[in-house]
Amino acid sequence: MRLDAKIPGGPLPQKWDRHRFELKLVNPANKRKFEILVVGTGLAGASASASLAELGYQVKTFCIHDSPRRAHSIAAQGGINAAKNYPNDGDSIWRLFYDTVKGGDFRAREANVYRLAQISNAIIDHCVAQGVPFAREYGGLLANRSFGGAQLSRTFYARGQTGQQLLLGAYGALMRQAAAGRVRLFPRREILDIVVVRGKARGVVARNLLNGEIECHEGHAVVLCTGGYGNAYYLSTNAKASNVTAAFRAYKRGALFANPCFTQIHPTCIPVHGTYQSKLTLMSESLRNDGRVWVPKTPGDKRPPHQIPEAERDYFLERKYPSFGNLVPRDVASRNVKEQCDQGKGVGETGLAVYLDFADAIRRDGRAVIERKYGNLFQMYEKITGDDPYETPMKIYPAVHYTMGGLWVDYNLMSTLEGLFVLGEANFSDHGANRLGASALMQGLADGYFIIPYTLGGYLAGTPLEPVSASDPAFAETARQAAERLRRLLAVNGRRTPDDLHRELGMVLWNFCGMSRNNEGLRKARGRVQELREEFWRNVRVPGSEQDLNQSLEKAGRVADFMEFAELMILDALERQESCGGHFNEAYQTEDNEARRDDERFCHVAAWEFRGEDRDPVRHVEPLSFEHVPLTQRSYK
Amino acid sequence: MSQTIRLTLKIWRQKGPADPGRFETVAVDGVSTDMSFLEMLDVVNEKRILEGGEPIAFDHDCREGICGSCGAVVNGRPHGHLRGTTLCQLHMRHFRDGDTIVIEPFRARAFPVIKDLVVDRSALDRLIQAGGYVSVNTGSAPEANTLPVPPDRAERAMDAAACIGCGACVAACPNASAMLFTSAKVSHLALLPQGRPEAARRVLAMVRAMDACGFGNCSNHRECEMTCPKEISIVHIARLNREALKAGFLSPEA
Amino acid sequence: MGWLVSLLGSSVGKKWMMAVTGFAFLGFLAAHFAGNLTVFGGRESFNGYAQKLQSLGPILHLFRAGLIACALVHITTGLLLFLQNRRARPVGYQVAASAGGRTLSSRTMPYTGLLILAFVVFHLFHFTFVPPAPLTIFDRVAAAFRRPELVALYTAMMVVVALHVRHGFWSAFQTIGAHHPKYMPWIFALSLAAAFATAIGFGSLPILVAALV
Ligand SMILES: Cc1cc2nc3c(=O)[nH]c(=O)nc-3n(C[C@H](O)[C@H](O)[C@H](O)COP(=O)(O)OP(=O)(O)OC[C@H]3O[C@@H](n4cnc5c(N)ncnc54)[C@H](O)[C@@H]3O)c2cc1C
Ligand code: FES
Repeated sequence: MRLDAKIPGGPLPQKWDRHRFELKLVNPANKRKFEILVVGTGLAGASASASLAELGYQVKTFCIHDSPRRAHSIAAQGGINAAKNYPNDGDSIWRLFYDTVKGGDFRAREANVYRLAQISNAIIDHCVAQGVPFAREYGGLLANRSFGGAQLSRTFYARGQTGQQLLLGAYGALMRQAAAGRVRLFPRREILDIVVVRGKARGVVARNLLNGEIECHEGHAVVLCTGGYGNAYYLSTNAKASNVTAAFRAYKRGALFANPCFTQIHPTCIPVHGTYQSKLTLMSESLRNDGRVWVPKTPGDKRPPHQIPEAERDYFLERKYPSFGNLVPRDVASRNVKEQCDQGKGVGETGLAVYLDFADAIRRDGRAVIERKYGNLFQMYEKITGDDPYETPMKIYPAVHYTMGGLWVDYNLMSTLEGLFVLGEANFSDHGANRLGASALMQGLADGYFIIPYTLGGYLAGTPLEPVSASDPAFAETARQAAERLRRLLAVNGRRTPDDLHRELGMVLWNFCGMSRNNEGLRKARGRVQELREEFWRNVRVPGSEQDLNQSLEKAGRVADFMEFAELMILDALERQESCGGHFNEAYQTEDNEARRDDERFCHVAAWEFRGEDRDPVRHVEPLSFEHVPLTQRSYK
Repeated sequence: MSQTIRLTLKIWRQKGPADPGRFETVAVDGVSTDMSFLEMLDVVNEKRILEGGEPIAFDHDCREGICGSCGAVVNGRPHGHLRGTTLCQLHMRHFRDGDTIVIEPFRARAFPVIKDLVVDRSALDRLIQAGGYVSVNTGSAPEANTLPVPPDRAERAMDAAACIGCGACVAACPNASAMLFTSAKVSHLALLPQGRPEAARRVLAMVRAMDACGFGNCSNHRECEMTCPKEISIVHIARLNREALKAGFLSPEA
Repeated sequence: MGWLVSLLGSSVGKKWMMAVTGFAFLGFLAAHFAGNLTVFGGRESFNGYAQKLQSLGPILHLFRAGLIACALVHITTGLLLFLQNRRARPVGYQVAASAGGRTLSSRTMPYTGLLILAFVVFHLFHFTFVPPAPLTIFDRVAAAFRRPELVALYTAMMVVVALHVRHGFWSAFQTIGAHHPKYMPWIFALSLAAAFATAIGFGSLPILVAALV
């Protein structure tokens, strides 16, 4: 299979303009004849639903939650990037593009990333117009801060709740369209499968989570905005309902899955503290602007932090990366933290933590300033750990946070399954092997507000779409399969709960397909995952019935998909015999333990094709070429 | 340092909207004080599943106090007794060995119980649909810095916008009123120049929607602001009252 | 007109009506209190005050009509709110707890309100709607407060009124949107002061009268 990314011709800065011109337009009067199914109401889904409805399309929007506002995007803390260059510190569209490509360790498409940087400014304009209360300077103009991995201030923020405020803006826009009757909302619905009719995505099968009813919805196109799959690891910073189900079902229906092994481990999370722990909490990366990361110089030093004199502390990031210091990109920071802990210098009860210390910043700026910047984060930390970060340094450890991999999409955000568009974290598009801080919000909103309205129109106008109805046999068959699967889950009646099995799967992935990987471990993990999956279907216990609100059943369905998907992650990691970004294979590192890419063999996107339950998937390749950002070894020294 | 404690839970169980429901008493042992309240419920549920019982249904998602999914009434207090804390952030170190904890769903006519601790809060979405937004189509926004907003205004707008829509204000209000929720959105948008053009229409429409959903009226008991996990102040309720007065008597809006 | 009805019929509209009529009662209480003070001037002064009031004729009637209208609005709206609020939570909580917002005064508003209503009716028939002769108003008051049970009743009722004022006062400001972080502490202080003034100012009167005459 040849993967055609459909990158428009012409010079990089004009590609998007030109493409918009070349895309066919749907006659305004015809728009209302098209029904679009949008799955998910995070930044990507809410913004897409609203923008499409504003154009006049009929939109049906689905989400798992009781309200669209609760999508996982709500939890994003730190901020959103744009190339406004308000601080006059040398930013530009080109620099944002450059930083993102480089930050992604050269595993993203130049054309996509450039478009993202171009659109970034319009996103800020739009969100401000919606009433997003971004932070302001004294004169009333917008404030910026610098954020993980960037040497300039291009991040817009609303306290530590930027995702919440952006999502509420998009949610408001969505609710406006719902009130106008152009969007029909289907909350508390889980999409269990995509319906393919004559080679095109034409519908979805949804389970009404309140009463278990299996519903079929037909449309002219499906827009999947279901977020990332970080919860494969069980413990992650993702919300509990985040899952891979819809994306994975789409993969099984013919959409290729790209770079599943690219996961981002965020360096600053609250460390794990017990087996019952259900999720990890992120401490925003912005904390690294003022906090200093350190460990005791001597392994096994168990003294409390304030008893360790300055001379016996190792500020290892500042030492190793003098020019970026504590602000090195996430993958670099995370790996270094792990390395220190592996050397026995970790702190806390488990030894799996390092200090993030604000004492200097408080001394320099005063407590009030620090409180204004990070008050809510400090409070959150104290609530969870019972420690006061104004007094004792925070303890942090890396945690799974974001997944760069996702369904493969072309420049139009369409997957290899015709009519299936994928937006936001669910696609693989813009972040390569590592995402820079504050650029997921940017990408989700770029996709939803400013890309899909054009490219979907182009698809609808340029593709003959015969009418289908939910009575088409494809719907009945897909619905039957979904229902059958639920019944199978209930029928096992074994001895382990879905969470218990999920926790074990997570441990396997974390240990062998996490921050650092090696071939032997990956091979072992693959075997372990296969065994676990087999055990899952033999020994899982799901109480209750499928015709009721049954949260265990919901969970079990998602875990079942993670069980299969995990193997794809491992396979992808095994095949990529290089290190890049979030994928660090121990066999490929420089003398200073930096990731060593192999651009000869792996300067490409790996996209996996499903070939049936008993066969290995096939790996396809989309070569990447870098004409504008020279392929260099990243260095943050 | 973590310890373990024993608790007696009295939990509301209700199979469905039509079921009358009842309290069930559950003894739990070995609760680590490092657990969150929801993790404690997870542990109870895991055990019940293995023993063949029905797990307790409760809404949750982010588990870090921002999505607004979680919430139950713990010993008479929505989200429990800790100020400025959602249930998912409430940790068991705030309970004592031997405590009895009564756990009930949020109660309001506008929030019918769906199952156990899960309630239907879609009324809050209907309130937002009535006008909790700025009507701006994608693509039509001016350059972001053309409208300066004094930082203190932006901050006050943010204070209101911090609402997570959990509904605890309604649950805590002796009248099951949604004034704090509604006023937070009215106030957030009324404070910003971007929200002014529609301010009059918005406040009147949202008040109407609030009444139509079957919420009670505000008696200024202040239970809402004391309960709100984001500590949103009733100063916003006063602003709603003011905005509504202005809109009702001075604007052409009906 | 339709707009006004629907505006005043809304939840906030009803509360405005409570606030505005409440303010009227506060004004009335202040005036009543000033009038009461004449009782300490002795029989002549108090009877003179009563006559002065009667001599106002139509103006007095206008005020009375105004007060009755306010009372009707305050009572019917209050009852409506009370019933609606009860209906808004058909199933209550097993454990009733407060986060610290409710006060004795806010909790009891509907009940203190009803008690005050009953008391006002009694009070009117007791002192206001009575023939001017043969007993003068001073004699009636003096006679009434020689009976300890009436002193107790009047004093107790003034505490009830004070409770109602305690919450009603600041609440009325909040309801019409007069809430400012700078001034709200003053308003809170004032409502407490008004409550004490009511309780002590009115409540001490029967006791003092009983002691003096
Ligand atoms: C704690 C945290 C902090 C972050 N901070 C930042 C930050 O500061 N800056 C930044 O740029 N990025 C940040 N990110 C990343 C960013 O928040 C996410 O990548 C982004 O919000 C994803 O948005 P989305 O719209 O793609 O998906 P989501 O917001 O995850 O939404 C997914 C939606 O899909 C629905 N859904 C999922 N599966 C199904 C199904 N099967 N059926 C029906 N509906 C389904 C869900 O209900 C939900 O509505 C952060 C992430 C985390 C975890
Ligand atoms: S689970 Fe999100 S706020 Fe509690």
